[in-house]
Amino acid sequence: MINGVIWKGDKLIDGVPETLDMLRSKGKRLVFVTNNSTKSRKQYGKKFETLGLTVTEEEIFASSFAAAAYLKSIDFPKDKKVYVVGEDGILKELELAGFQYLGGPEDGGKKIELKPGFLMEHDKDVGAVVVGFDRYFNYYKVQYGTLCIRENPGCLFIATNRDAVTHLTDAQEWAGGGSMVGAFVGSTQREPLVVGKPSTFMMDYLANKFGIQKSQICMVGDRLDTDILFGQNGGCKTLLVLSGVTSLSMLQSPNNSIQPDFYTNKISDFLSLKAAAV
Amino acid sequence: MLSKAVASAVSVTLNPKTTSKFFGLKRVSFVSSDSLVFGGKNSSFNADGLKKSRSCSRMESFVTKASASAQPLKNADELIDSVETFIFDCDGVIWKGDKLIDGVPETLDMLRSKGKRLVFVTNNSTKSRKQYGKKFETLGLTVTEVKDSFLSIVCLKFHRIPSPNSSEFSQEEIFASSFAAAAYLKSIDFPKDKKVYVVGEDGILKELELAGFQYLGGPEDGGKKIELKPGFLMEHDKDVGAVVVGFDRYFNYYKVQYGTLCIRENPGCLFIATNRDAVTHLTDAQEWAGGGSMVGAFVGSTQREPLVVGKPSTFMMDYLANKFGIQKSQICMVGDRLDTDILFGQNGGCKTLLVLSGVTSLSMLQSPNNSIQPDFYTNKISDFLSLKAAAV
Repeated sequence: MINGVIWKGDKLIDGVPETLDMLRSKGKRLVFVTNNSTKSRKQYGKKFETLGLTVTEEEIFASSFAAAAYLKSIDFPKDKKVYVVGEDGILKELELAGFQYLGGPEDGGKKIELKPGFLMEHDKDVGAVVVGFDRYFNYYKVQYGTLCIRENPGCLFIATNRDAVTHLTDAQEWAGGGSMVGAFVGSTQREPLVVGKPSTFMMDYLANKFGIQKSQICMVGDRLDTDILFGQNGGCKTLLVLSGVTSLSMLQSPNNSIQPDFYTNKISDFLSLKAAAV
Repeated sequence: MLSKAVASAVSVTLNPKTTSKFFGLKRVSFVSSDSLVFGGKNSSFNADGLKKSRSCSRMESFVTKASASAQPLKNADELIDSVETFIFDCDGVIWKGDKLIDGVPETLDMLRSKGKRLVFVTNNSTKSRKQYGKKFETLGLTVTEVKDSFLSIVCLKFHRIPSPNSSEFSQEEIFASSFAAAAYLKSIDFPKDKKVYVVGEDGILKELELAGFQYLGGPEDGGKKIELKPGFLMEHDKDVGAVVVGFDRYFNYYKVQYGTLCIRENPGCLFIATNRDAVTHLTDAQEWAGGGSMVGAFVGSTQREPLVVGKPSTFMMDYLANKFGIQKSQICMVGDRLDTDILFGQNGGCKTLLVLSGVTSLSMLQSPNNSIQPDFYTNKISDFLSLKAAAV
């Protein structure tokens, strides 16, 4: 997880650069997995750069990339189209992967004229609807995507993630991708294929790509129901950091059933705890 | 099939991520793909009420009834004579989009001539009862306003004779889920100094106003956008004590976030849904994503299930049975949707008649995936006339 582990909003969390350096010096592979689908891997690379961290595109896995990678993995036909309810990151990744798409931010300005007998047309070639966080969400998109899912035979319903809240700004919690996905679950009465955490799709993908054994992986995150569950589903070690949305009382609450292997305040504890042990 | 349903009732565990769709206020009913489970009665209306009823797995006696197959309606007279009230869903039963379905006025006249009480219950929350009255009028069924500000539908050709069983004029009533939301808040004595945030259309606003509640939101929030600058915080009114969500063609992220903040951060804030219909007939040309999508968005962002006031929750049924002093066994629910209308009738302990003039086809009714079986089914309500004639 990036937000709440590496940065919070637009600010780097204390001690992160040194911690990453230390891990690299010990020969550890670093991978950054985020459920945020608003940016592409390339755009994320730029964000890391702006914050002073050297992270390559290949080390970043955003759920926008995951959606495109999933479609590739199932040989989604190139003559089919993807309807996107989401932001620029998804469009960019689909383009990179060579898929045709419709929708995205520009549908945010579309309205419907509800005259008697009005019928909304939709492209019969849409073979998948990809839904992610969308600040330009509106009824036009809900209806368009719903028509595709309900009426185009075999149309896939893919969710980048189902996070209830997200940190659009670090001032408060903002309704997340889970709300856009929830709207489609409500209108289609179908459950989506989730490519982001806690689904193990991204874990399987990178384990396969880098030839890593899952028992050799430690997942570090700040959310129990996405990050930690993701790590557990994948059979990895899990470390919860308290520098993001989860507090110690939330972890220890009787309502919580997700227990990571370890927890600590922030990742720079790797440095301080290490020093203490010497 | 009954034993399967019993086994499922005992073992089903509630998880917000499963497909359990509809929640009543007094009774909790779940429809999963292959089992019908009824929870116990819940007599307290509060935000925790829903949680309490989830853990109850007591089976209601009408599960047995639910598992028998629907019969095609042959003897209309027998059905008509066996009940004193007919509750009709509107869309797909009385009209389709803006057009009256064939034979409706004559059928309603016939039922009235036999002394039957007619009630119209719709999950549509875009109009108030008064506005619905106008729609009936536009379609050729006259509406007159009677005392106590109730609306009565009286056909020009026939005047209702006060029934000896009622103490006032026998009335025909329209119950829209917009009214149900306001009636629900009244029934729990929702404080007048608290506010309601509305994600929905004009009908809800009008009914809240009539009931004397303060509200925010509604269609005008459809034009609001958010400027996402670093450190930007969306303010929200701390006096909002309930968020009412219904079909909203002006739906946008501003409303999702505002409502989500109220539900998550205002202590005790209620999350009320007028209905969870997946699709609705905004125009009769096709199916349109319904209130279930707006409600689904909030379920996704708050991870809470709403209190549903519309069908298939029995709130409106209990309300009108109480108001008119009707026994539920004396009611026949007529509708075109299995998971709202028919389930509503079954939950209420009424007879149920499915019409195929709306969204449900015969193959959908008979599909192995369908577990909701009405008592009877027929093509359209005017079959009451033709089947009757055939029997003569």
